[in-house]
Amino acid sequence: MEQALYKRDRYHHIKTKSGKILRVVREHYLRKCITCSAEICTLDSCKTGISSLPSDVTHYLFPDGGVCKDFMEVLELAQFTGIVFTQTAVNYVLTPGGRATIKRLTQKVADPRNGCIFFANEFFHETFFERESKDNVNDWQTKLVYKAAEWYYQHLECKKAVVVLTESEELTFDLANKTAGVHVMSLQQYLSLFWPNCAEATDMFESLSASLLLSKEKGGKKQYDNHLPQEVLQMHVKSSEQYYEGVLNVNKHHAQKEAFIRGFGQKKLKLDSDILISGMTDRNRAIHGDRVVVKLLPKSQWKGRISSLTQDNESDNDYQDKNNVPTARVVGLVQRNLRDYVATLPKNEGSSVQSGKSGAVLVIPYDYSIPKIRITTSQVASLQDQRIVVRIDSWDCNSQYPNGHLVRRLGPIGDLETEIATIMAEYQLSMAEFSEQQQLELPTNNKDDPWAATQEEISKRLDLRDLLIFSIDPIGCEDVDDTLSIRELESGDLELGVHIADVSHFVHPDSLTDVEARQRSTTVYLADRRFDMLPSILSADLCSLVSGVDRYAVSVIWHLNPVTYQVKDVWYGRTIIRSAHKMFYEAAQAMHDGKDVRADIPELNGMDAMSVEIRMQRLKWCVDKLMDVARHLKANRVKGGAVQLEGLEVKVELNEEQEIENLIPKQTMEIHETIAECMIFANHWVAKKIVETYPLCSLLRYHPLPRQDHFQQLVESAKAKGFEIDTSTSKSLADSLDKCVDDVDVNVNRMLRSLATKAMSNALYFSTGSLPRDQFFHYGLALDCYTHFTSPIRRYADVIVHRLLMAAVEGDNNNLIVNKELQEICEHINNKHRASQHAQKDSQELFQTVFFKDKDAEVDECCTVNAIIESIRSNGFLVFIPRYGMKGAVFLQDKNGLVIDVSEKNNPTWTSGSISRSDFTITVATMTSSTCYALFDHVTVRISVQLSHSHSHNIKYELVSNKQHEEIQMNQAHKSCSNVQDVVSAVKEMHTDNEDDKDNSTTKQTCNEFSQSNSNMYQLLRNFKLMALQECS
Amino acid sequence: MELLSDQGFRVDGRKPHELRKVQCRLGVLNDADGSAYIEQGNTKVLAVVYGPHEVRGGKSKSQHDKVILNCQYSMATFSTGERKRRPKGDKQSQEISLNLRRAFEAAICTELYPHSQIDIFWQVLQSDGGNLSVCINTATLALIDAGIPMNDYVCSCSASFVNDTPLLDVSYIEESQGGPEMVVALFPRSEKIVHLKMTSRLHMDHLSKVTDLACKGSRDMFGILNQAVRLRISGLSQSMQVG
Repeated sequence: MEQALYKRDRYHHIKTKSGKILRVVREHYLRKCITCSAEICTLDSCKTGISSLPSDVTHYLFPDGGVCKDFMEVLELAQFTGIVFTQTAVNYVLTPGGRATIKRLTQKVADPRNGCIFFANEFFHETFFERESKDNVNDWQTKLVYKAAEWYYQHLECKKAVVVLTESEELTFDLANKTAGVHVMSLQQYLSLFWPNCAEATDMFESLSASLLLSKEKGGKKQYDNHLPQEVLQMHVKSSEQYYEGVLNVNKHHAQKEAFIRGFGQKKLKLDSDILISGMTDRNRAIHGDRVVVKLLPKSQWKGRISSLTQDNESDNDYQDKNNVPTARVVGLVQRNLRDYVATLPKNEGSSVQSGKSGAVLVIPYDYSIPKIRITTSQVASLQDQRIVVRIDSWDCNSQYPNGHLVRRLGPIGDLETEIATIMAEYQLSMAEFSEQQQLELPTNNKDDPWAATQEEISKRLDLRDLLIFSIDPIGCEDVDDTLSIRELESGDLELGVHIADVSHFVHPDSLTDVEARQRSTTVYLADRRFDMLPSILSADLCSLVSGVDRYAVSVIWHLNPVTYQVKDVWYGRTIIRSAHKMFYEAAQAMHDGKDVRADIPELNGMDAMSVEIRMQRLKWCVDKLMDVARHLKANRVKGGAVQLEGLEVKVELNEEQEIENLIPKQTMEIHETIAECMIFANHWVAKKIVETYPLCSLLRYHPLPRQDHFQQLVESAKAKGFEIDTSTSKSLADSLDKCVDDVDVNVNRMLRSLATKAMSNALYFSTGSLPRDQFFHYGLALDCYTHFTSPIRRYADVIVHRLLMAAVEGDNNNLIVNKELQEICEHINNKHRASQHAQKDSQELFQTVFFKDKDAEVDECCTVNAIIESIRSNGFLVFIPRYGMKGAVFLQDKNGLVIDVSEKNNPTWTSGSISRSDFTITVATMTSSTCYALFDHVTVRISVQLSHSHSHNIKYELVSNKQHEEIQMNQAHKSCSNVQDVVSAVKEMHTDNEDDKDNSTTKQTCNEFSQSNSNMYQLLRNFKLMALQECS
Repeated sequence: MELLSDQGFRVDGRKPHELRKVQCRLGVLNDADGSAYIEQGNTKVLAVVYGPHEVRGGKSKSQHDKVILNCQYSMATFSTGERKRRPKGDKQSQEISLNLRRAFEAAICTELYPHSQIDIFWQVLQSDGGNLSVCINTATLALIDAGIPMNDYVCSCSASFVNDTPLLDVSYIEESQGGPEMVVALFPRSEKIVHLKMTSRLHMDHLSKVTDLACKGSRDMFGILNQAVRLRISGLSQSMQVG
């Protein structure tokens, strides 16, 4: 092996920390052979490598360093394939400032669909030559790229033309006719010659070169301070108490004014709160999500948080808290975290466009937390009323706004498809179709060519086709990934089985499907549609465990003690199953409740009455037993301190024309919990198995301990209702949450739970090699280890876990992913997971606005609803609307300082008055009346939509009355009458001072709801309102 | 800096399992009893052996059952990029001297020379990573040149671990990035490990992979050293025949 290498020395000049110039020598080995990775290469010596340079392109592309660095985004487009990135070019990009570009480049090469390779030309003796003294470094590097291109051309026996891209005009001229078949040109020439119809590339090229030109022009007034260099920042952070590093978080409600750095994770930080950065000057060009270093300001300049609600950005009366928080100034950037931003041209800016030179316009990003971006484009007119995607290039200290360029356009504003695309682009989620090549990889299943289990596979698997296996899913579910079975064994033990679709059988590591699935990481469920992680042939067909067909599965089967349900034995492995029933949650629940649900189970058709009867009995026994086991499992976890969390989900009902019929909060039944519990059980046992076998490279999911200060709002809100919350451990939290039950208002408990959920951090995937063993636990579920195993069709993490489990069972350790790589995948999955949840939420909000947009708020009764006050602010309060599961802000004071007066029924008016606020209440006083609102009060609000051009539409909530919405109140009044006893006891407990008016149960209820003190004037006014209410009903 | 690219190249263009270029010579100094010089990449080491001779500095030190081994390691002021005064007997070179003595006490047939002493001196002329293992290899050659009986060659090589891949024969850049470094010295015929030194942390699971590679490197070094010795002997015998 040594003979194949030539040693030479390279001399470098390096500047040391103390400023001295050092000459160091480094070895550089040249080797005789290097694989060309081209598919068309016929040489035997090149056969060893993987052929990834495709044969179906007309030419190969060799960009030089300059082109790679400045125009990577053009090369990044999917249509450019067959690019050879030479080591020389990559090294050129690697010079300071090129880290983001390198990341792009690596991604482009890593994706096998792009057919791009990295070529180590400087380690190859045929493509390397010493620099001559007349050449400057850049020319030499371009010549190296040329040499590599020339070598490729000759190596492939002149079968493929090669194109060298360089921006150096002199060299283009010099090299152009040196070798026939090796073309040298600039990127612009290349695009116009080879891609004359590719507007996307041309657009991007133009805007990139325009912004390059712009960045070269210096001058103008200095708007911001210079950033400190990296080394200085690191030194300051390590040595000084005043400098902190963190990720900048812009408050999107006050994007111009407030940004924060998390105080958490700062080891030396004595302050437990977040650090405030106030105003754009102090933020010093940092953008939401950047990693920055800040310097604390002297205590005299500390400011308080803004606690008022804003209607729009122009409101100038900020109410600031008296409690000042640490305030700081950004002094440098550690790492920019730029992404693609969806933006819009400002409305009617036609005239001002011409004033900017070379067609520069300021566009408004969709995301409130991002500043306006200046882009250069020649197509201003056609971009009006369109949503576009832009990218930020630079932000000089003499420019008020960052410079960027146009990437692509999404479509006209207001169009549902555009808005969905906007949400997907904002969260960087893929909505593309699956490629044809990928489809070819997969088996087919249609009438002509049906898929069937092969005998060979069946012999390898445990045959469970005779077992009674069933699935329970929501109505309309296509991707059934989990099925269950339960039976009594002859030994008397109970056998519980969880059978999960065997996705890993179809998706092989590093196949195109696998790469695509990893990139997507999760199926994205939007309100009206979903974007699958796997092609539909898998997700809705071959991997979907529907009833009546043979399917491959991975099973976990436990033997349980029939009385105590203790696990006696567990088995993991591949199986083949045939699900007997695909049931719906509703049907299963009804079956458990003893109702006749034969009509709901289609598989029973065609059976005779006798066997239907027997089957029904068996199924009912199964469901009942499952519920019993699940209850037991849950009780065990609750004993260990599991916290039951509350999430809000709203279902959008669509009619055939894809119009929104109604918005309904999702209902939960016991059967939901049963299934969830079985899945948790399976996940837990799988986690146990893989972490035991592969303690260093298993994928688990952990849920860290929450920060105590995040519980503050929860504790204080509970105090308003007289409840105590102990947040010290998960057990005490769960117990105290269970106690917070208001007998009249079930919503109080729900809201407290949702506050608790908000206070907790999210559970995350991680690779076991990267965390110490004692951090593996799952706080919310109170388990020592947990993973995701049960939904491989819609989560990529589960696919990895399946592979790990199979490797553990079969003892085949060849294809394991090493810890470092796995941790990177985990982080990617976590990001995508978060993004898809946000996208889901945003899409629901989008549909909410569409739902309310066409309704007349004044007339339509859908728009007038009951709301509960969730938290109090200085000029209004936040409400929760149980009917739609929405949250929003209600203003009591408008921009002009007028306050709302609701004393007149159903006719709120804005008059002059004042607002005073205490911990749990806010009081509006006008000339004629005074109204007090307390935490957890019920009020009536009217929902309307505030239209917005460049952002999403906002839902606006207006206060109509300080009472509950009548209709609902009537129902509740009924209920409360029926159990007067409960109400009395509840009132006794909490409002002993209000005991004197027991004569009217309705009054008591109102007292309770408003948790009022015994102010006489208030009592009087309230009674008036009450009388009005009773008359009306 | 990326020590190992995705294509499997190290910074200097080697693959993970490849040694640097090795050049060696025996008998470079005529006045000493034995001497050798090895260039491994840019690490250049000269080793000189004197003895066995009478114990210097008082008979009290002499041992009745074995030879005293005196080892001194030093680096030249010009051996690194920055010229630096390196006083004799600083902590680092003392430690390396001790390591070297341990390794050679096991290799030299010490019982053959009671009441005597053998001196080995090392001078690092240029330092570019893997100093200890190059020193061991050089001393082996110098001892052979001096004709001192040994149980076997002592062959040594270093290894590191980056991106879940073991790297053979680490250079200075790779050493200075702070990864783990292991130096193995072994008897190539019996495959017994004479010396093993490990710096920085390495997970237990990867230990065997790194050790295996370092041992393989040491065996490769044996091939190179053996060839150099044979070349030297044939050269000597030719000159004797001519004489």
